[in-house]
Amino acid sequence: MTVNANQKVLKKALGIGLSAVMGMSLLAGCSSNANGNTNTASNGGTATDGGSKERVTLKVEIFDRGNSPAPYTITNNYLSNMVQERFGDPNNIDVEYVPVQRSEEVTKLNVLMASNTDVPDIVFTYDSSVFYRYAQQGGLTDVGALLDEHGPNLKKFLGEDTLAFGQLDGKQMSIPGKRAITGRYTSYIRQDWLDKLGLPVPTTTDELYTTLKAFKDKDPGGLGSKNIPMGMALAPAQFETLIYSFIKPIKGDLTYGQRYELPLHDGFKDAMQFLNKLYNEGLVSQDFSLDEDKTQLSKDIQNGNVGFWSEDVDNIFYAEGTLDNLYKNVPGSKVTAADVLTNANEGNKYIKSRYASNGMYIMIPKSSKRAVEAIKYLDWMASDNNLIDIYSGVEGENYDLVDGIPVVKADVAQEFADRLFNAGDMAIISNGKNIGDQATNEKAWISGFPERNQEMLKQSIDIANTDTVGPIVFGKPIEAESKYGTTLSDKLSVIIVKTAMAKPEQFEAVYEQEMKDFMSLGGTQLKEELEAALKDL
Amino acid sequence: MSKVSYLKRYWQMYALLSLPLIYFFIFRYGPMYGVQIAFKDFNLFQGIGGSEWIGLDAFREVFNMREFYTSLRNTFMLNFLDLVVSFPAPIILAIMLYEIKSAWFKKISQTILYIPHFISWVIIGGIVYQLFGNQSGMINEVLQGLGLNPIPFLTEKGPWLVTYLFTGVWQSAGWGTILYLAALTGVNRELFEAAEVDGATRMKKIWYITLPSIKPTIVTLLILNLGKMVSIGFDRPYVIGNTAVREYSDVLSTFVYRIGLESGQYTLATVVGLFQAVVGLVFILGSNYISKKMTGNGII
Repeated sequence: MTVNANQKVLKKALGIGLSAVMGMSLLAGCSSNANGNTNTASNGGTATDGGSKERVTLKVEIFDRGNSPAPYTITNNYLSNMVQERFGDPNNIDVEYVPVQRSEEVTKLNVLMASNTDVPDIVFTYDSSVFYRYAQQGGLTDVGALLDEHGPNLKKFLGEDTLAFGQLDGKQMSIPGKRAITGRYTSYIRQDWLDKLGLPVPTTTDELYTTLKAFKDKDPGGLGSKNIPMGMALAPAQFETLIYSFIKPIKGDLTYGQRYELPLHDGFKDAMQFLNKLYNEGLVSQDFSLDEDKTQLSKDIQNGNVGFWSEDVDNIFYAEGTLDNLYKNVPGSKVTAADVLTNANEGNKYIKSRYASNGMYIMIPKSSKRAVEAIKYLDWMASDNNLIDIYSGVEGENYDLVDGIPVVKADVAQEFADRLFNAGDMAIISNGKNIGDQATNEKAWISGFPERNQEMLKQSIDIANTDTVGPIVFGKPIEAESKYGTTLSDKLSVIIVKTAMAKPEQFEAVYEQEMKDFMSLGGTQLKEELEAALKDL
Repeated sequence: MSKVSYLKRYWQMYALLSLPLIYFFIFRYGPMYGVQIAFKDFNLFQGIGGSEWIGLDAFREVFNMREFYTSLRNTFMLNFLDLVVSFPAPIILAIMLYEIKSAWFKKISQTILYIPHFISWVIIGGIVYQLFGNQSGMINEVLQGLGLNPIPFLTEKGPWLVTYLFTGVWQSAGWGTILYLAALTGVNRELFEAAEVDGATRMKKIWYITLPSIKPTIVTLLILNLGKMVSIGFDRPYVIGNTAVREYSDVLSTFVYRIGLESGQYTLATVVGLFQAVVGLVFILGSNYISKKMTGNGII
């Protein structure tokens, strides 16, 4: 009760308390800042500080996939030391890597960009709308002149075509990486199931339907309710391949590049109708709507429950990967890579999607004071043998040179293999092993896989390169993409799931309703803008 | 007592109090600086100060988005159903636990009931998929084995709601008993003895002694829950929800995540956040007022 009786005292004490708190929180704010700085500073430190006054620090983003093998860390490893030794020290630069979790790359990048002072000098993203947004908000350095002055090797390596992806209104606002391999998806079928039923490998979409029916009715795997004639997931590798085999590309072998722009194509409805039929007849994974990361699908494939499926071209071939596991789990099983899905709306060609020839967008924030050093770093990476050294390690220990192609040694020691755990993430200017033309790149790529799987991977790549349709490059941001992109890509998933799972007699109504929704959520604006941009090309 | 001696005597109390106060200022009031983003065309590179004021434009945009209303409706719907289903669960459970006479059995039961609370929603999500999937789920596998049709627990709206609510009860009911049990320890045992002498049955005792004694706790928690009607946790709807039931599972928090963090439209996300805060305040004040009128108990 004394407290109540002394209201005045309380108020005063509270006042004191409050001001003390405010003061402390200000202090806390400062100290936390200071901490932040020291933390990031200590992240690098791969080399001792040089005596020279001009020694500067270059901060470079690096994807952290949480897979650093001991004794390495994501910021201090074989490759980071190599960069420091070969590029940093001669140029009086401390190269410091700023790890960003792979899975929350964009969110973390947004935070870094907003911080202005903590942002690395080199950042990157795969998402073109993120790049355009930063560029439009004035957050990026125009690197055109810098490239001319400090990046001759880099320019030569990337070429004008690739560089064009990074331009906005004629200004070079980012440096796109170069993609070594543009093939994306391949389909696979269980040869042992076909053999058991005496069926040939289907060669058209219609034949596939008949084959799937047979898989379902005759159950060659003897699986009962676990039998999945066609593996499906709510993931691009599965639904995109299916949709591409029905849509009419907008412009020859080019079409709208964003996934959520698929519903704007003629033939999209046919694709949904086909999926609806497959679903209702129990021919595709019944739980595909829950499987956005393909976990269930790979599990089903590995357990031998799936007869036909499509996947990213390389996905199943890794050591101890899907294919290895399937062969181990189901003795006698055999998989064939097959080009099956024909597109009746496009001359029965095996239409499928391919990547644009660029990789990620490499950007230098406007607030960076090390733009010159950043370009020098990228130029260094593109010059001499550096890219191969980053990708392939040490000749004789990690790889042998066969016909000018670095072929990964089959019996490479773990210690040496560990050097390259983050090679793909270090070589930001090159997505995949860029050694020469596409065929050479593919060879080099294949050589990194277990020998037993190389032959089929080669077939896979050939299939993935057949009748491909690439993205149209507008060379300017489509406003509606940055505005409605997330909403619409979410809506695309809903369209696929809803129309697939509707009863066949309700398909029309559901499809109409969902498409009306899609258009009203921004699809209309997107369509208009895309069509206008198409005319300006 | 003079002011000086008062302070001398109680300064430790104030020092202790200052810690939570600091917490609130740094983590609860400090971020409010960012609320102004709702009224600005937020540019990442200009910062909050440098961005231009746009008045209520962003509010107009949000209130014109159909998704906003869907997620608002779902937020209310899921919270309301949760209140109906999940709110009474811990009360019933607490009373049952209180009635258990065997001490060791009571302890074991409590521990078992608490465990789900410590499991992350991501893991619960995994369990739910394994249990309730159409083709891969355990329950449906059993049903199919018995020659019955599978129940689409996760992919149809109605059954999904049941799954959502059930997992909520499973996860939180045990933990929710703690406050009630704490309130029950304060009940005078003599009341029960007196009731027994008067020949009261167990149900009568629960009705006339146990329940009234935890009434203030129930009311307080009810008010707090009502205040949270418009705010909803992110993990549960995000993890349990899926594309097939998006019409029901899209709530304000997942909406904010999508437009704010994923597509970088911070202004719109802040508008929704501010809206939630204002409506939440109205709700909590309103339910407090009503409760004070009706029961004489309130929290403010």
